[in-house]
Amino acid sequence: MNLRSRQLVPPFQRPASRVLIRKAFNYQQDLAVLIHESLWEFNLPVQGKTVLLKPNLVGLDPLGVMNTHPAVIAATRESFLRLGAARVLVGDGPAMDRDTHAILESVRLREFMGELGRDFCDLNLDDVDKVVLETHASKLKELFLPKTVLGVDFLVSMPKLKTHHWAGVTLSLKNMFGIVPGSCYGWPKNILHWAGIDRSILDINAAARPDFAIVDGIVGMEGNGPIQGTAKAAGVLLFGDDPVAVDATACRVMALRPEKVPYLARAGTMLGHLDPTKIQQLGEAVSSVRTPFAVLPEFQRLVC
Amino acid sequence: MTAGLFTDAGLAVLKETQNGDGGWGYHPKSRSRIEPTCWAYCALSSANDSAQVSACSNARRFLLSHQQNEGFWAASPEMKTGNWVTSLASAVLLHEVESEKAALAGISWLCKDYPFDSSPLVRLLGSLRSKTRVSQHNDSYRGWGWTPRTSSWVEPTAFALLALQESRVQLFPAAASERRKLAVALLYDRMCPDGGWNCGNPRVYGVAGQPLVLPTAWALIALHPFPEHECKSQSLAWLENEVPKIESPGSLAVASMCLETYGKKLPAAKFSLHDCSPDSLLQDGIHILAWVCLALNTNRNWPARVGETI
Repeated sequence: MNLRSRQLVPPFQRPASRVLIRKAFNYQQDLAVLIHESLWEFNLPVQGKTVLLKPNLVGLDPLGVMNTHPAVIAATRESFLRLGAARVLVGDGPAMDRDTHAILESVRLREFMGELGRDFCDLNLDDVDKVVLETHASKLKELFLPKTVLGVDFLVSMPKLKTHHWAGVTLSLKNMFGIVPGSCYGWPKNILHWAGIDRSILDINAAARPDFAIVDGIVGMEGNGPIQGTAKAAGVLLFGDDPVAVDATACRVMALRPEKVPYLARAGTMLGHLDPTKIQQLGEAVSSVRTPFAVLPEFQRLVC
Repeated sequence: MTAGLFTDAGLAVLKETQNGDGGWGYHPKSRSRIEPTCWAYCALSSANDSAQVSACSNARRFLLSHQQNEGFWAASPEMKTGNWVTSLASAVLLHEVESEKAALAGISWLCKDYPFDSSPLVRLLGSLRSKTRVSQHNDSYRGWGWTPRTSSWVEPTAFALLALQESRVQLFPAAASERRKLAVALLYDRMCPDGGWNCGNPRVYGVAGQPLVLPTAWALIALHPFPEHECKSQSLAWLENEVPKIESPGSLAVASMCLETYGKKLPAAKFSLHDCSPDSLLQDGIHILAWVCLALNTNRNWPARVGETI
């Protein structure tokens, strides 16, 4: 089993992170080509490896505004296979509804990807292993996490570009809440709320750090996200080898200040780069795709 | 496939997938866990067939051997803290004389397990913190959480109510009656504005939450023994209206058991449970296969089954 590396590297020892922004105006365009070209630029070490794509599948979503779009998931899977990955799994543990089958039907995942069979993993029901949390950001001392997540060679967080009514924004770091198994902690995973959402995000990402992040910002969600917000077209996909840098850049695209999001500010000291001078910006400039997202009054301080 | 043929085939698959330790994982060949073991045991024992005796006895032994000294069960054998599966294990073990003592120990633990959100101190602190409330439900009601010392939620509260059956209440700790009353009040308080339940957030920032099939069906099954209430009829109407839209066998099975409990006919759905193959249901989980077997079993005694449909 490949227990994911959990060694923390202080920011001054980290190389610059790379974030690529690509314009993508709708889900009908040829996303496989766009995503393959984008991944190619990162020269990812996935040849012969098992890759797990962790989309954001929150709940029943017939309008396609709350979950990572299946077209993006399908194109990403195809791209990793073209890059030589031996196997590309898709897995999530929806937080609010334990009927994962119904969620997959509502997002039409099968329509875009065919029968996934054993290549889809309901992380809520996977076998678990104990992981001792060494970061002590929250008061949680340990979590039982899915063996699939802990065992894959390459983990990709694939959130939707959304604001969040408790955390401010939900992007590739917050998306990792979905790996915490509902069969152990429930639907919702309320123990994380009691331990502190911001702090739990840090502990989870330190324990099972994504190797890569891809944000579906073709259509995002603003306002009372992650479920009851309003669809907001931003027309972008973001890619990066540092989830903190990707999330910071996504905030800047939404005209929000990442350093004012408590968990992102702290993640910038322990998990990755928040500082734009440490982020090598590839593709489109943030200014050319900037799309202000509305936030709840409680989060007005985030607005640039 | 007829209901009888499906049930026979489904039970055979359940027996084939039972692990050597007597339990079931969520999927074939995965580690045994409490929840799928409870549902598989329930499906096999409801068959009332001598062919299932050995599998049931092994399952019971697995459950009994994984009960902790304090009376609770943990979701996974590696975990050492009790949680919501204690309700399920207690409920299914209460039916057998030989496991009744263990079930009562579980129920005793449940009666002492109070969620934190409804504690007087947390409520006082909450009232001082902010005047703009994220949600508007009544924190004085106490149900059960998924994990101890967190908040009350609909499904764990429903499962606990199923364990605290009225017919056995004389065996339970004195607190059981009060806990039942508070839990029922909590479920009614957490109902979504137009009927039905989601996980337990009927409104967030003033926006009505969307009900879901599984929490609604479990809540209604748990509330069945209690007096008529407009929330029940409103939620039953929501569920009946929702059945034609159901996409998954798990939700359809639990909705079917719920409506049957209330003597209601299952409205036409997009698919029939009889037409599901037991092997394909395994992809969704052992518990889903067990739910479908239970839903199609006309001899089921738990979750409750009440006579003829109307």
